[in-house]
Amino acid sequence: MPVCSNCRGKTFIRDDVTENLSCSTCGKLQEYDNYVHQYGGVSGPTGTFVSVGTTGSGNVYSYKETKVYEALKFIESMSLRLGLSTAEADAVKAMAREVTVGEYGQGNWFNIFVGACAYVAMRRDNKPLPIAEVVSVIGGTDVYELGRMIMRVVNFLDLKKPEFPEFDIVNLFERMLRNFCSFEGIEGDKRERMRKQGIFLLNCAKKWFLTTGRRPLPMVAAVLALVAELNGVGVRIEDLAKEIHAVVHTCKLRYRELLEALVKVAQALPWGKDVTVKNVIKNAPFVIQYMERKSMSEPSGKKDLVGGICLDLGNVREYLRNDSGYASDFCFEDDFDTEMDNLKLSHESRYFEVEDGGCKLGVEDMDSLKLSHECLSMIYSKFSDEVDNVKSSKGFEEVRGTKKRQGFALHACAEWWNGQSEMSKRLLLKEILEKDVGLDAIPPSFVNGCVAVKRRKEKINAAKQRIDRIMCPSNARSGDSSDICISEEVHTRKKRKRGRGIDWEDLIIETLLLHKVKEEEIEKGWYNVLLELYVFNSGVV
Amino acid sequence: MEEQGGSEDNEPVDLSIHPSGIVPTIHNIVSTAFLGCKLDLKQIVLQARNAEYNPKRFAAVIMRITEPKTTALIFASGNMVCTGAKSEEQSKLAARKYARIIQKLGFAVKFQRFEIRNIVASCDVKFPIRLEGLAYSHGAFSSYEPEIFPGLIYRMKMEQKEPQESEVPKKKKNVVLLIFVSGKIVITGAKVREDTYKAFENMYPVLTEFRKVQQQ
Repeated sequence: MPVCSNCRGKTFIRDDVTENLSCSTCGKLQEYDNYVHQYGGVSGPTGTFVSVGTTGSGNVYSYKETKVYEALKFIESMSLRLGLSTAEADAVKAMAREVTVGEYGQGNWFNIFVGACAYVAMRRDNKPLPIAEVVSVIGGTDVYELGRMIMRVVNFLDLKKPEFPEFDIVNLFERMLRNFCSFEGIEGDKRERMRKQGIFLLNCAKKWFLTTGRRPLPMVAAVLALVAELNGVGVRIEDLAKEIHAVVHTCKLRYRELLEALVKVAQALPWGKDVTVKNVIKNAPFVIQYMERKSMSEPSGKKDLVGGICLDLGNVREYLRNDSGYASDFCFEDDFDTEMDNLKLSHESRYFEVEDGGCKLGVEDMDSLKLSHECLSMIYSKFSDEVDNVKSSKGFEEVRGTKKRQGFALHACAEWWNGQSEMSKRLLLKEILEKDVGLDAIPPSFVNGCVAVKRRKEKINAAKQRIDRIMCPSNARSGDSSDICISEEVHTRKKRKRGRGIDWEDLIIETLLLHKVKEEEIEKGWYNVLLELYVFNSGVV
Repeated sequence: MEEQGGSEDNEPVDLSIHPSGIVPTIHNIVSTAFLGCKLDLKQIVLQARNAEYNPKRFAAVIMRITEPKTTALIFASGNMVCTGAKSEEQSKLAARKYARIIQKLGFAVKFQRFEIRNIVASCDVKFPIRLEGLAYSHGAFSSYEPEIFPGLIYRMKMEQKEPQESEVPKKKKNVVLLIFVSGKIVITGAKVREDTYKAFENMYPVLTEFRKVQQQ
């Protein structure tokens, strides 16, 4: 507490006129906390303003108001960078105010918080704004950190399913189709067709578990790439991935999974066995047409040749009955044989193997096969065009990779795309699942799990045989080692460098078997747990 | 010990406990204990060869043993956290071993308040699960955000006995199940093995409701 420099008194009074502080006992003017009179006029010496009242209330520069002002300014700038409208920005502000009880905030966390509010506000209104995009705009964070903040905001606001819908992948697709620079020059009809095809494929992807438990962005990029390719729009999947803030490799993986699913659908077609991932793009019009027709058919309808629907392509049984094979019925040019050779080389196609093997379409009931003249001629003309292109360009290159396909154009989409299917519209999951598109796929992760279990089973059997051989040498067959190593079939994905040798996994399985661990337990593949429980468990009584 | 992992001694699965026929395999048990004295962590790390201590990074000694293969975090207050055991017995044995090690280093250790804090288990229902449908119909308990995490997070509130008048009411037990489309399930948050099993058995009928029927 200040004391008078003269009498050590502790009470002071302030002069009404000069506002100077003086001792109430002795009247001495105190040397501190007094106003300094301005002297020297306007050009006289100036002091330094020291702000001491920033924490008080009623001050325009108070801490809280400054904080709120800065926070609102930040939200506005963030909204601008995220491309939100004024109303959307206001919604973000309102949400931020609600969550922070009007305090807003500052510091590094506030950026993430505003990003989370923007995401939640947009998703609440069913507008597409992926987390990855928010992360790229706010910077300095990752999807997981932002995700945690989003979950906190959602929990705080107690947002549940109807008012907080799941992320709409179709919305995002439509937005990308509208805004991506490579799609700007597309005319209206074509764009609408691409939109419907994309929604159709996305619905199919949902049905086929290609989006379940996966980030939606790579699938959107994959569908966009496929639709663009089908409609002759030149776009690279890398560009799409960059625009959509997805990892290129994942986008390519989804693209491949989509193609693999189309290949499976194509098996229902008469020439389905020839369709592979490499040539499915060329067959995609037929495959998608088939899927579309199938989705439009009644689920319980009469099953016919190609899985319940008729391709509506007229009657060409004469072609197929013809002993000379349908290939010879076409009026081809003189260089037909040359083209056939080329096709066989490049595709190992069975379309044209009818000469020596009769009809190898894989169709048992030939009478019920319905393919039109137009369809078959379309197939041939397509391949014929392709061969021409191959000749001219010395091989075509892939769009989905770094290379671009040149000169290969699918026939006009209008010919094969109907667009009338319900699957081309935004549907609920339940409605999607009710539709039949010719394939009822299971999740890739589940398939991988089954493959892993099968591989382990084979390893267990091989290990048992090895153990038997050692324990009962008399039963062992001499020189036959093929049965004690797992077959090559299970190594389709990963080829080992050492080929058929025994690896660490085999040895662990042997150890576990010798410790009488159940085979079902070993099949699960949790070796560490089993080793701890059954092998290195000596300390536990 | 009733069971370990699947079923110890190759006994068939007890269907009264596991009506689904599936026994979750325990992968990790986290337990805590109090050693009854303050500890000089620097002394411990200088004397024990299986310990590491970097106070700038983490304020505890990290000690490992191989049998049972576990890791312990030993704090200066005398608290200890033991992780990595595959069964309750292993966890307790490991905690006792750590206490003995500290005791041999010259501290007046008393092994007290041993408690299992968390059990992590997993299993495979062997059918694909339609996560979207599950998330929709069990929205109150589940969180499914494929943009953030590929699995569905299901927070199951476990039934609890009404506390007696003299008892202090305990916190609600909450077991979390991570459900993946492949049919793999991770169960965590339980303090006793039975809760893990019970949570899975409660969940199994729901999972079958949303299973993907494989068509040939």
